[in-house]
Amino acid sequence: MIKVNTEDHPWYSGMTVRNLLDEKVYTFRHIIVRVNGEYVPEEGFDEFAIQDGDDVIVLHLMAGG
Amino acid sequence: MTLERYLRNQDAISDAEQEILAQKCVLVVGCGGLGGYVIECLARIGVGHMRVVDNDVFDESNLNRQLLSSSMNLGRPKTLAARQRAMAINPLVEIEAYQTNFTAENAPELVAGCDIAIDALDNIPSRLLLQQAAKTAGIPLVHGAVAGWMGRVSVIQPGDDLFSQLYPAQTEIQGEEMERGALSFTVSLTASFQAAETVKLLLGKPSLTGELLEIDILHSIVKKIKIT
Repeated sequence: MIKVNTEDHPWYSGMTVRNLLDEKVYTFRHIIVRVNGEYVPEEGFDEFAIQDGDDVIVLHLMAGG
Repeated sequence: MTLERYLRNQDAISDAEQEILAQKCVLVVGCGGLGGYVIECLARIGVGHMRVVDNDVFDESNLNRQLLSSSMNLGRPKTLAARQRAMAINPLVEIEAYQTNFTAENAPELVAGCDIAIDALDNIPSRLLLQQAAKTAGIPLVHGAVAGWMGRVSVIQPGDDLFSQLYPAQTEIQGEEMERGALSFTVSLTASFQAAETVKLLLGKPSLTGELLEIDILHSIVKKIKIT
């Protein structure tokens, strides 16, 4: 089990950031991801492996006022 | 004795708290979507002094969401409309209007003497400047941002650096709002949360410090995310 934006989410071995984003169906083009506080740049989404128990924050890039 | 205009603030706000609000100064940077509603709320509740900053004039594309815009004031400065609106609502509120961009050069002067700064900006570089200016001045910053059906609010204390987490690349100027626009209810709801956080901070009540309020109006979800 992992945390995604403070909520429990099922984990499986080999899960990458990209897999998680696909599961959650985030539609925004600009996504900010942190795993245990560490920023994961977009070019690393396919390779970055999420571990069991990780705390993941996924945010949309918003700057409108 | 409570002024009649503030009767319906009671008892949510006590007489003593009303007096505290009257003594406070709030800097509102941006008088567009978020800023317009924030200024409206703070003028009505009785924040005594506001300093409002924007270099823009209204155009037709603002009419879908910006409270201060109308078909009658297209081409006119947003700060002028902000000042006129706030004075019309509540002449007890002092309004200083600065028709300028928020820059590294004018930031110290604009922040000086304010108790809280409000981020109602529409771009990332200016937000980074404002966070630094608020930090230097030692005052909290109430952040708000919108894109489409989504909004976000948080409180940044002077020692915090929320924007390095929200805008880590620091190369982007705009966010998703360029593709998704901004809707009237997204802007008004997000700005209302900003105004409420501002009043809570001014009155020493618990605020959103260390947390993001994520507002997803399309799915009717408002969620707090702890962020460190």
